[in-house]
Amino acid sequence: MMKLETKTYETHAEFDLILITEDAREFVKKSGVKDGLFVLITQHTTTSIMVQESLPCLEGDIEEKLEEIVPKNVQYAHNHFLPTYGATGGNCPGHLKSMLCGNHCVFPIQNGELVMGHAQDIYFAEFDGMQVRSVFFEALGE
Amino acid sequence: MVIDMHVHPEFWEAVYQDDAFNEKRKEIMGRDKLGNADYRFVIKQMDYAGIDKFCLLATDTSTKDNCVVLTNEDLKKIVDLAPDRFIGFASVDPFRKDAAAVVEKAFTELGLMGLNLHPAKQKFYPDDEIMDPIYKLCIKYNKPIMFHAGTSWEPNTPAKYAQPLAFEGVAIKYPELRFCLSHMGWPWVADTAMMVLKYPNVYADTSMLYSDRPIDFFHQVFKVDLSPLWLENAFPEKIMFGSNSPRFGSGDMKEGIETLKLRPRTEAKVLGGNAVKFLGLED
Repeated sequence: MMKLETKTYETHAEFDLILITEDAREFVKKSGVKDGLFVLITQHTTTSIMVQESLPCLEGDIEEKLEEIVPKNVQYAHNHFLPTYGATGGNCPGHLKSMLCGNHCVFPIQNGELVMGHAQDIYFAEFDGMQVRSVFFEALGE
Repeated sequence: MVIDMHVHPEFWEAVYQDDAFNEKRKEIMGRDKLGNADYRFVIKQMDYAGIDKFCLLATDTSTKDNCVVLTNEDLKKIVDLAPDRFIGFASVDPFRKDAAAVVEKAFTELGLMGLNLHPAKQKFYPDDEIMDPIYKLCIKYNKPIMFHAGTSWEPNTPAKYAQPLAFEGVAIKYPELRFCLSHMGWPWVADTAMMVLKYPNVYADTSMLYSDRPIDFFHQVFKVDLSPLWLENAFPEKIMFGSNSPRFGSGDMKEGIETLKLRPRTEAKVLGGNAVKFLGLED
């Protein structure tokens, strides 16, 4: 069987990490899937789904190091008019951070529960906020 | 007080009608891949960016497009959702037979604060006599005009109607009519500089981002194309902050102004003080 839902999140800053582990656990419980796989996929290209230990120090490190790798205030080829949007591209750092951090995560489902490592949490990561964002929650199995 | 003088709310949820009309709006406005914004979230974005008020612009191209992209009545509906945060500018297609009545209603019944006109899209020359009754109503009710000037990203918008010098006749004929050349009239920014320098009733806004980042583009226009001293010394009271949101992010555009490192008193005027004067809200 397969169960698919879209959940939306409001992000609150240009860079934002939102813990969504509990949403994932609840979705799996209600999905009806007893044994299988759970998949979370962001619907955007300037956001990520991250699996990390939930510590404020790590959250700060992630933000600072991503900014060092992909700084906001440098030139990018993306900064030009994009006819498909009718706008000038200004969010290249968001695209590159998204590429570095990935767009999804996968976990097993056993006995109708999400199975995760003891230090693992799931974050929705925003790199081009504030915006309203959408995430696919999908459970596959029997 | 920080006021973004140039915001288009056609794609806000409060004025969503149906998918077909949404697509029509996108086609007319030259937009795509755009969601519909909830005004409450827009206010959160304004707070995050440190922006107190948005000036929202209606768009009426009905004689060309057989529909009104955003009516004055719908704009009023949005303004009423948060009247302390939103200012509304009406629009009228000058070729409508009832154009004068539309403008009069907008200023009296609807209480809108000014008029938004787009010569390149609406296909009129600003000094055409067809405009005289509309200008006279603006003067009668002490309402300013936001004119699109210079290049437009929207389809079917010949720039010949909107070059800054095309507005000079209006500035001379109606010295008591305040109007803004939006987008700094880009790429004719030197012509726009002449207009705001020479005519006390002419303003311009910063809603321009034709390439690069706001920080680069504003530097090029205000520090390279124009003398770096002109905004500070020649016309510090004539340039208003505008973003052209949602085409460009209001917060990013504000940051672009701030990175010009203007004198604090000049920056305060550009970010809001000049708009207060333009809107006729000075004590």
